[in-house]
This record gives sequence, C-alpha cells and structure tokens, in this order.
Amino acid sequence: MAEEGVKRSSIVAALAPLLIAGTAHGAGECAARLKSAPAMQADRDGYSVAFAPRPAPLATGRHFALDIAVCPPYGGGAPRNLQVDADMPAHKHGMNYRASVTSRGTGLYRAEGLMLHMPGRWRFLFDLQLDDRVLQLAHEVEVP
Amino acid sequence: MRRHAGRLVLAATLVLVAGTACAQASRDGGVPFSADEQRRILAHGPWPPPRAHDPGNAQSGRREAITLGQALFFEVRLSSNDIFACATCHEPALAFADGRSRSLGRGLLERNAPSLWNAVHERWQGWDGAADSLWSQSIRPILHPKEMNASAAQVREFVAGERELACRYRRSFGKPPSAAEDDDEAVLVNVAKAIGAFVATLVSGRTPFDDFRDALARGDRRAMARYPAAAQRGLRLFVGRGRCNVCHSGPMFSNGEFGDTGLNFFVRPGEVDPGRHGGIAALRASPYNLLGRFSDAGAASPVATKTRHVEPRHRNFGEFKVPSLRHVALTAPYMHDGQLATLDAVVRHYSELNLERLHADGERILQPLHLNEGERADLVAFLGTLTAPDLHKWRPRAPPRDACTVGAP
Repeated sequence: MAEEGVKRSSIVAALAPLLIAGTAHGAGECAARLKSAPAMQADRDGYSVAFAPRPAPLATGRHFALDIAVCPPYGGGAPRNLQVDADMPAHKHGMNYRASVTSRGTGLYRAEGLMLHMPGRWRFLFDLQLDDRVLQLAHEVEVP
Repeated sequence: MRRHAGRLVLAATLVLVAGTACAQASRDGGVPFSADEQRRILAHGPWPPPRAHDPGNAQSGRREAITLGQALFFEVRLSSNDIFACATCHEPALAFADGRSRSLGRGLLERNAPSLWNAVHERWQGWDGAADSLWSQSIRPILHPKEMNASAAQVREFVAGERELACRYRRSFGKPPSAAEDDDEAVLVNVAKAIGAFVATLVSGRTPFDDFRDALARGDRRAMARYPAAAQRGLRLFVGRGRCNVCHSGPMFSNGEFGDTGLNFFVRPGEVDPGRHGGIAALRASPYNLLGRFSDAGAASPVATKTRHVEPRHRNFGEFKVPSLRHVALTAPYMHDGQLATLDAVVRHYSELNLERLHADGERILQPLHLNEGERADLVAFLGTLTAPDLHKWRPRAPPRDACTVGAP
C-alpha cells in the first residue's frame, strides 16, 4: 500500500512539468525578477515579459528605458534575442526612435532610447527570437 | 390643488436657480471644463520649465560665453560680405524671426526662419531637425553659401583680430583664438558654442494662458475669470474636438517631433523639400552632432540619447517640426515655408484639411475639423494668449565694462 503511494507520487511528479509547460507565469511572478515595482507584463504561449519604465511613470515626450525580464514557460527555451518596439495602433505609426537592447544577465535586459511622442494608447512589442520562430508579445498602455 | 401649486413653485425655483447659475457663468465668462479637459490643460504647464542647457556645450550657462555669444550673434562681420548676422533672420523685434515667408540671404532661402525664443527647450533644431544642439545649428548658417557664406578660417581670423572678442574668447575657452593647438574648425565650433550659450538664454516669460492654467490648478475661479471667454472657448477646442494638443503638447505646446500636415512642400516646380527625412540624413552626416568629437558631453552621454536612437522612416519624407505655439501670434507667416499668412489661415487649413494631400502612410490623427467662423476666431483668440506681454521689451544685455572692454584702463 505504502509502495503504491510512492509510485503514484512519482507519476504525478513526472507529469507535473508536462502539465505546467505551456502555461503563463502567474501575475507578478515574472515581474518579481525585476526587483522593482511597478511592472507591466505581456504573456503569450507560456512566455512572459515583465517590464518597468525608467524613469517611471511613463510620460510623453521624454526618452526612457525599460528594465525587462523574459520568463520562458517551464521546459521552454530561453530566447536567443530580444527586440523591443512600440506603436500607436489607432494612429498607424510607431516611435521615431529605435530602441537598443542589452542583456543584463539570464533573462534580464535593458532597452534604451524609447520615446512616446504623443499622448494616447501605445502598444509595447517584444519580439522573442526562439529556436524555430519569432514570438511577439504585446502589451497596451494609455499614456497621458 | 395645493400639491400642484407646490410643484409649480418648485419648478419655478429650479428654473430661477439654473438661470442664476447660467448668469453667473456668463458674468464670469467661464467655460465649464470637464475633469478630462482640465487634466489636458494642466499638462501645458507649469511655465517656465526647469532651466535647460545647450546639450554638449560646456559654455552654456556661463556668463562670459553668453556675453561673447551675444556680440557674435549681432556681428555682420561673421559673414563673408559683412552684411548678414544671425540677427538678420532672427530679429529681436520680430520675436527672433524675420517676418518673411522664406528668409532672404544671398538669394531666397527655402524655409521660414523659426523664432529662437525657447529654442533651448527644443529637442531638435530647425524645421527638419538636422541639428541636435543650438551650437551645431549655429554652424550651418555661418558656412552656408546662401547665408553667411563664411569659412572657418575667416571666422577665426575675424575673432582673433578683434581685441574685445578675442579677449572674451580667451576668457571663455582658456586660450586665444589664435592658439596654435587649435585648428580653424575648433575655433569655429567654439564660436558656435558661444552663440549657442547666448541663444539658450532666450526663454520667454509667463503668458495670460500660464496665469489661467495656474489659477485652474489651484481652483482660483476669480483669477480664472480674468482669462477672456473667447480664449477659454478656443482652449476647449484646442484640447477637445480639435485634438491640437496631441502634437502641440506640453508646456512648449509642441511634442518636439515631426509631422505631415498635408502642406504643399514643393520648393520650386519639380523639387520637393524632403523635410525630416533629409534632416536625419544631415544630422547623421554632420561632424558637429552630439555623437561627434566636438561635443563636450561625449557620445555616451544621456543628452546624446536622441541622436543615438533616432531612426529614419519612410514617412519622414515631407514631415516638418511641430512648432512651439508660444508667442505664435508674433511669428507670422506660418509653416515651414511661410505659406500661410495668418493664424486664421492656419486654423482654416486644419479646419478644411484635404486628406488626399496627406501621405499614404501618414498619421491618421488629422481629420478636417469643419469649424465655423466663431470657432476659428475662438481658437485664434486662444493662440493670442500664448504670448508673454513683455516679450517686446527684450534688449541686448550691455557687456560688462572690464579688462576686455576696448578703451578700458
């Protein structure tokens, strides 16, 4: 009986990563890697990107940087590259500046040179270069 | 019957109260701004903003360089024919513009001379943003063959040969303009930095709008009531239906960037002004940008962030800088080539905007406003309140009487 219980636990333990793989990170889980609140988060296909503007809060007409944490799903591969951009979907235009991204350790990045030049709804775009595809995560935010 | 009479009295009382409120609003001349409108209005201040410096210019803010720069700004002998000075196209009495559609140098130039008031608070200089600092912008007209048409060697020779200028140059830069270790180009850049230091001092004072904005911020209805009713209605259009504040944002009434507003941008038949597209190319090619060796800040400095990251886009073609609207009433004619003579013409342009003239991938925020005559007049009245009443009082500061003064003991 006790032996059967151990077997059952082993099966559950073996299945757990499979069940968890492909699920998004819980709210705050990825953001916690930034060690600085407040952060926003974009999720897709189990990948999460948490990001926080520096300086905060977001404002129009000034350059800023983003501290970024990329969190792959359990069992998923880390991206080989990250590109960051932003646009205003309603206006059909993007930024006038191209952000540069530097790695700051495992899964941590800093994007610099962003500027949102109009008030309104902006969409941050994070392109993760995975082994077999580019996965784009997006997060929209209203900028006063 | 008594209940019926009571209802009549109540209704009459409500009418009276409403009427009184309307009369009060009318006497105040106050427009009842919504919370959202108030938030947008407050975003246009406070004024003045924190003091700014000419980026990459270690002389900015230094009294000695400002004195030198002021003298050079008005100096026609910086030009090859002793006719043109910076002040020729940037006259103090004309809000540091020249009142012409297109400036007149050694021939008709291609653009309107922008006002220099508050230029230090601009991210980019010029209608195309080809310069990222006041000092680098100052070099272009000095050398341009259709403007002052000087050379670096001529500039150096002139400054070195004028005792007072040479003295102030030495005080500013720690060595004379004739110093053997500096070449002509280095002296030209220093001259431009002195001019930039002077231009950086041109920050305009408070306007009737600023007083209204601050009164709104502190809830001072009495002070708010001093702001003309037509201007309040125009302001409401500006931040509301007109959505002018989307581009003309912040305390400068400009987001400092560039836009296609459906204007004719032909310089002459068959030739167009590329606007921002050409500006970015010129900026990148310039040895005087903030990434170059002449910047005092260094290429990695935060002041050079804009230059490091600016990116040309196809849509930049035909885009021109969103001008600041401060003291706009004094800077007619308008637009990058002065093609619109009056503020009413500018408002009419946006009111009856021809969408087919916008580039195919242009911004979709511009829509014809279809304003009536009264609304156009209200917008113009509002724009008229963006002028500091003491702007015309500006006079050059008398140079200190010191060891550099010619004739001083």
